[in-house]
Amino acid sequence: MNGAVAIFRKELRGYFTSPIAYVVAAVFWGLAGFFFVNILVRVINFSQQVDLFAQFGQENPFDAATILSQQFLNLLGTLSLFLLPIFTMSSYAEERRRGTMELLATSPITNLEVALGKWLAVWVFFITLLLPPLVYHVLVLSSARPAVDYRLTLMGYVGLALLAGSVMALGLFVSSLTDSTLIAAVATFGLILLLWVIDAAAGQENTWIAATLRHISLLQQYSNWVQGILSSSSVVLFLSIIVLGLFATVQSVESLRWQQG
Amino acid sequence: MTGLSTASATTAAIEVEHLSKTYGSFTAIRDISFQVNAGEIMGFLGPNGAGKTTSMRILAGYLPATEGTARVAGFDVHENPMAVRQRIGYLPENPPLYPDMTVEAYLHFVAQIKRVSAGDRPRRVDEVIRRCSLEDKRHTLIRKLSKGYKQRVGLAQALVHDPPVIILDEPTIGLDPKQIIEVRNLIKSLAGEHTIILSTHILPEVSMTCDRVVIINRGQVAAIGTPAELTAQVQDRQQAKLVVGAPEETAIRAALQNLPQVEVVSLQPLGSDPPRWQVQLKSNVAAVRDKGTESLGWIPEVARALVQAGIDLYEIGRPQASLEEIFLQLTTQEGSAGALEEAA
Repeated sequence: MNGAVAIFRKELRGYFTSPIAYVVAAVFWGLAGFFFVNILVRVINFSQQVDLFAQFGQENPFDAATILSQQFLNLLGTLSLFLLPIFTMSSYAEERRRGTMELLATSPITNLEVALGKWLAVWVFFITLLLPPLVYHVLVLSSARPAVDYRLTLMGYVGLALLAGSVMALGLFVSSLTDSTLIAAVATFGLILLLWVIDAAAGQENTWIAATLRHISLLQQYSNWVQGILSSSSVVLFLSIIVLGLFATVQSVESLRWQQG
Repeated sequence: MTGLSTASATTAAIEVEHLSKTYGSFTAIRDISFQVNAGEIMGFLGPNGAGKTTSMRILAGYLPATEGTARVAGFDVHENPMAVRQRIGYLPENPPLYPDMTVEAYLHFVAQIKRVSAGDRPRRVDEVIRRCSLEDKRHTLIRKLSKGYKQRVGLAQALVHDPPVIILDEPTIGLDPKQIIEVRNLIKSLAGEHTIILSTHILPEVSMTCDRVVIINRGQVAAIGTPAELTAQVQDRQQAKLVVGAPEETAIRAALQNLPQVEVVSLQPLGSDPPRWQVQLKSNVAAVRDKGTESLGWIPEVARALVQAGIDLYEIGRPQASLEEIFLQLTTQEGSAGALEEAA
């Protein structure tokens, strides 16, 4: 696993020195901050209205903190959907284009070590992007009366990290299929979008196929986490996608050597 | 890493046996066999598209061969890829560099994936930086380096784990003459402790740096030998230059027409008082073989035939064939290639 560590460190250093990564981070933080303030203002306005109605005897139970958390986490999920393809687009495509695959393929390091190192690096980079929103999110929640349970919010972030991990494993695979970063990004985006809303294909059917489609819909899974519904099958699904993505990546890189001209 | 033992007791660092590689219906290399002895510099010479890069990639374990075996440092590249990868340094045609890393960070990274222990890495990186004259560029981003420096970083990358076998695919391509000389000197300084195989389509490179040469053409081995051996073989058999005195050109042609193994390449007047001619002759390899005489036997026969016909012989000599001529002969004529292969 020494090789995986080497790849991990190289990739992570690459993210922290790459202008693209900084642009992505700026966009992510900027939009997240903008929407957070936006959601916060709306929630505050609404709760003032609710208070007003309550004075006239119209009781309307309203949990401002939960609504804030859920809306913000859903927003972060959607934002990630757009930005994650950019994280993984160059992982393999750039190595292929620059010919550095030849270095990796002739070094005493396995394809699995390379894939693991790359995946872990991009995942860790994404998690660092999540830290600032997490901090101001928790700070705002800490002023809520009555006090809220942070564990629910934290669970949402764990769900987001797992979601991103599985999306990035798929992105890694797509990136290994091409030597164009643009194609990798667009194809990854298409793939995630499909998995995001695949439950739409299920409609109102009650067959096992429809149930499966609903189950693998990333949006469905993620909203469960956001609402605090923790199920082991959801964890298993995300982990399976990660394993599957990495496995497919290793196979695809392996087969590259046989196609080379 | 120097202490790595090789698995077999033979002195050959690279053994290639009946190697073939096909892509669909296209045959890139066909039935290539050769050996490189430990400490030797072997040149792999051929025109573009002859199969050099394919062969290098198979030796480096990057491409699987369709048929045949290749053993590097005693390990089969197909059966024991990790053992081979640890014992080779490989510079592909395009140096595999990460443009956004500094030279030093890049070499540290390569050392790490080549399994140089953490304690040895700084020493090894310093060593190759010194050896490839990269001291000034240590902290420069690779993206900002000139082509020549990039090539040197590529070489440093191939040396950083001190591998017993070094595979270089066109190491001097795209460099200016001064850089070419530097790279060649560097390669020469590596011989002895390392076994080196380098591919090139530049002839002087081979005669200047290599101990032995494999000439490859259309995916097949055309000749193997030291540059001197190859030169000798061709000049032994091929050409003779004469200066003769005869009144008429036809007399000279008549005297030689009974020698089927000899062809007149050119016949030019040198002067008219007395009338002298410069004649260039070429032996027909197949006819020499048919007559069963030794390979140089046709030269005294030419002399005898001329004297018997009453023609004065002023000079007879064999011009030095350059490696360039050999290469052209081998890669453009099918017939002579076979004869040389047999001699090699």
